[in-house]
Amino acid sequence: MTKWLEQPLSWENALFFTAMAVVFLLIVLLYVVYAILFERKVLGWMQWRHGPNRLGPWGMFQTVADVLKLLFKEDTIPRKADRALFIIAPALCYAPSFAVLAVIPYTRELYFADLNVAVVYYAALSAISTIAIVLGGWASNNKYSLLGGMRSGAQMISYEVPLVLSIVGTVMMTGSMNLRKIVEAQGDWFWQWNFLPQIIGFGVFLVAAVSELNRSPFDLPEAESELVAGYHTEYSGFRFAFFMLAEYVYMFAIAGLASVLFLGGWRPPAPFLDFIPGIVWMILKMAFVIFFLFWLRATMPRVRIDQLMGFAWKVLLPLAILNVFVTAVGLELFIKG
Amino acid sequence: MGGFYIDWSGELVAFFAFAVVMIVGAVLMLTLTKVVHMVASLAAVFLGLGGMFVVLEAEFVAFTQVLLYAGAVTILLIFGIMMTDHQAVQREPVRPAHEIVSAVASIVLFGILFYAIRTTEFAPSAPPLQAGVDNAMEIGKQLYTQHVIPFELVSVLLTVAFIGAIVIAKKEAE
Repeated sequence: MTKWLEQPLSWENALFFTAMAVVFLLIVLLYVVYAILFERKVLGWMQWRHGPNRLGPWGMFQTVADVLKLLFKEDTIPRKADRALFIIAPALCYAPSFAVLAVIPYTRELYFADLNVAVVYYAALSAISTIAIVLGGWASNNKYSLLGGMRSGAQMISYEVPLVLSIVGTVMMTGSMNLRKIVEAQGDWFWQWNFLPQIIGFGVFLVAAVSELNRSPFDLPEAESELVAGYHTEYSGFRFAFFMLAEYVYMFAIAGLASVLFLGGWRPPAPFLDFIPGIVWMILKMAFVIFFLFWLRATMPRVRIDQLMGFAWKVLLPLAILNVFVTAVGLELFIKG
Repeated sequence: MGGFYIDWSGELVAFFAFAVVMIVGAVLMLTLTKVVHMVASLAAVFLGLGGMFVVLEAEFVAFTQVLLYAGAVTILLIFGIMMTDHQAVQREPVRPAHEIVSAVASIVLFGILFYAIRTTEFAPSAPPLQAGVDNAMEIGKQLYTQHVIPFELVSVLLTVAFIGAIVIAKKEAE
């Protein structure tokens, strides 16, 4: 991609970039279909049941059928809903989730944008999805949706602070916010990757990431036992599918970000393993992070909303700030001094 | 020289696209009647401004703009509206004299700005800041060398505001 990105933008290049984006979108959609299947299977196994197994061998076509069902479902808009915002919200929620994937480097050669503020870009775009969720909840004109939307807004804004601060340590160690440089700066062996010196940052990042994704145990915005389905209660058909799609694409993005920032990106865990191409390592690491999210969901009970907000401000934020200070002192004493 | 010769490049197309987004957002912000719609169109203005900064190769400012204004400030406004204002639609009383005065004032302001922009000549003597490659790094260097005192003062000010907010909230709670 380097060759293409450094050329001036001509019509052929623009066409090539569009084609790449479409191919990548198809890959991401395929990933979403099978991530949902895999999630249901993993949840099934961990809870001592089978999970989907009726459609196709090993339940392979269950989610394909589910997607088709969602696409053909009747699209309902409540009469008292705010039509314009109700229609805009799902698209506004999904678009940033795909746009953040552009800055994640998948291998040394395969990346879609070489941006020097990639970390800020990620945080900024994911904030737009939050607005979409709040607006969608408000536009539905339903108390459960509104509560879900408000919870989501409060939660995502609160957890964005420790999420970004937990990345700061990594950025300080590299001296750049460019995700490619962050991967390049990590060592050849797996104990030289950022997750060991930045173990506090990595912990805070993982917890805050689960919360940013609105996933169990932090899935308060759509807590079905108290809010029916939260902010997407009134949505059906493909608009509902868009909200779900955004959630799973963000999961892909967070997995990519965690792999790049803390787990060495495309690097193999030991130098003699580098005959295996980088994309395989990247996919393995991302799959591991995604599996970790499923694992959490299968194990942990949901927390209460006041516990959740208190945890962000009283535990994660001080830890993240402490991590920044410790990293600064460590860099000054041992690396530069 | 002189006159308006326009060289149609992709940059210019992007500029006009973002300008249209911002102007439409601003006009909608003023004309819509539901407060939440106003905030949504304000978010469009913020996003358009972020895009404008990208066109100017100021990526750091651009995404900070999107993060703080389009993200945090908009959410804060939405929360404020939802928690305080129960009457979603606001109607302004019609005041013709007021409208005429504000129309004249805004036309005069536009005239002054337009005149100033058209007549300003940038001195080419100062060495241009090479911010295109890694502008987050350049901004950091500037902040911690040349502008370190204003920077620290701003952080003290923000801390004071932060503590003040907590004090007010505590007083309300009691």
